[in-house]
Amino acid sequence: MKRLLPLCYLVGLALAVPGAAWAHATLMGTSPSFQQRLERSPKFVQLRFDQSVKAFPNAITVYTAKGHVVSGLVRPGKDPRVVTVPVRLLARGAYTVRWRVVSADSHVASGVFTFGVRVRAPPPTAAFGASGPTTREHLVRWLYFIALALVGGGLGFRLLIVRGPLPAKVERRFYHVVGGGAVGAIEIGILAFLLRAEDALQLPFGTFLYGDLSPIAVLRFGRAFVVMTLGFAFVCALLFLAWLTEKRILLWPAFVLSICLASGLSLSGHSAVDPGSSWLSELADWAHLAAATLWVGGLVQLAFVVWPLAPELRRTAFLRFSRLATVLIAVLLGAGTYLSILRLPHLHDLWTVGYGQVLLVKLALVSLALLWGAAHHFVVRPALERGAAPFRGLPRSLIGESAVGVAILLVAAILVESKPPPQPVRAPTAASHAATP
Amino acid sequence: MEPPAEFVHWMFATGLVLIGLCLLGQAIVGDEVWRRRAWRAYLWPGLAFAMGVLMFPVMVFFTNSTIHMLAHGSWAQVMMLAGAAELGLVRGKLHSRYWRLTMPLAFVVSGAAFLIHEQNSWFFARAAFLHHLIGWTLIVGAIFPLLAFFRPRSAVWRSGFALTFVVLGVMLYCDRDLAPVFGHLSPQAGQEHR
Repeated sequence: MKRLLPLCYLVGLALAVPGAAWAHATLMGTSPSFQQRLERSPKFVQLRFDQSVKAFPNAITVYTAKGHVVSGLVRPGKDPRVVTVPVRLLARGAYTVRWRVVSADSHVASGVFTFGVRVRAPPPTAAFGASGPTTREHLVRWLYFIALALVGGGLGFRLLIVRGPLPAKVERRFYHVVGGGAVGAIEIGILAFLLRAEDALQLPFGTFLYGDLSPIAVLRFGRAFVVMTLGFAFVCALLFLAWLTEKRILLWPAFVLSICLASGLSLSGHSAVDPGSSWLSELADWAHLAAATLWVGGLVQLAFVVWPLAPELRRTAFLRFSRLATVLIAVLLGAGTYLSILRLPHLHDLWTVGYGQVLLVKLALVSLALLWGAAHHFVVRPALERGAAPFRGLPRSLIGESAVGVAILLVAAILVESKPPPQPVRAPTAASHAATP
Repeated sequence: MEPPAEFVHWMFATGLVLIGLCLLGQAIVGDEVWRRRAWRAYLWPGLAFAMGVLMFPVMVFFTNSTIHMLAHGSWAQVMMLAGAAELGLVRGKLHSRYWRLTMPLAFVVSGAAFLIHEQNSWFFARAAFLHHLIGWTLIVGAIFPLLAFFRPRSAVWRSGFALTFVVLGVMLYCDRDLAPVFGHLSPQAGQEHR
């Protein structure tokens, strides 16, 4: 015990002796603020931190949209928590501010934000230096769609198609697939957020670890990340409790929540922010995604859970899912057609613009999936209804249809990250002419 | 709208102390007495699971650095995992005792997250000291649930496991932002909060 006393004294001393503030400096405010639209050029850019910071002369750099530096060197001020840099007289346009300071505790803190002079400022993800979506982001978005399909579609299948108690091994695999989807939605969501932030901040990995993500978190994309991560954490908890207590009723809120959470992508994507977008385009985008999720996730459950493990349920599950799939395909096609017309104002955009070309690939895959589904619906389903035994190749056929569905999700991921062609400028109406002095 | 970081630390410190006290009670009176009320068996694993779920808001709302977001995310997930594994075992839904290894795993992952997200050396500041201390306490403390896994009836290992939670809770109470509990911090920290 005597040996421990010096250690106890040491711990007590370290706790009692005042020291410097912990952790790195936090950015409390900026001037101009994040994405602020200014009517005239600012004379300086200023950052305010919660504690004193060490700012090197080039701690703040302001770039034009073309990458020209328009800021000077940092001015020493009275308050060590404030860092100020003068800027030239700025012309109309969007500007990117990249900053990097050393906290009192030697942590390097850094970040990026944008502002506009007489124009709307772009989001930090479109700041100067950000390169836009990469192949990695396409891949991550695809994995995210798959995770959504596994959890939302899997729950839908369990609650709408195979409603009663299931054999233990089927139930176990159902929870493995759906639980994997829910955990995947959280992990892949975090990865997607970090990839987007890394692109915006344009920092080496070591510095990025201390990068300020708050300007990204306040964007629509960031808010979607916050809501969806919290939502899927809750879905995970509900799934676990449903499994633990064997109360299927808990799957309903998990199902409703996971389908509603898909709207996070719709509310932060093209359908919400591009010109011409409205509540209707947001709703159509959500319906499109929710239908695809239910369809692909249901197919996976049918092909990988029910078919190999529960022969007694095959017929019922196939017939019920076939009926549901008809409704889902109708919603998918209706909403998809509306969104295509909205985003591609001219038919020739389909083959002349990159976005249209990706859409063409998606349409080809959707046609293949529809043909496959039609074969199941018009050939297999009547045979099963007559009481005939399912043909031997059906399991492989179901796996094939699932694979096409997953491939469609990949193309959809690329499409989501691609930029649609600009909308044509509307001619001024007679009324607006009359109102103009 | 966000509460100060120190309030969040205190809330989780309270949770850790409660878990530690439950475990200590169980270690002292034994499983048979502890489980005379069926709900008691679910008490500390349920609390650990709930704390894991509640750590997710901390993760997504405190985004002023990537490393803190990732550290909070790792704590959220390992707490949920360890709590869920214990709940599954208590409920009889899980049968393999190897699930109990999720607790030492959670300790090691949490400790590593503490040590990785602290850039400074031990004596740089009080918080740096505490981060190192908490990190190493978690990593060294993982020995208790690990030995309790091999010797489930040993009161020594189980008490050590329980006391590790209590000690971690006390440390987390001290790991505050700028609260002048032991006097105001350096002028570098700005004006006093309260």
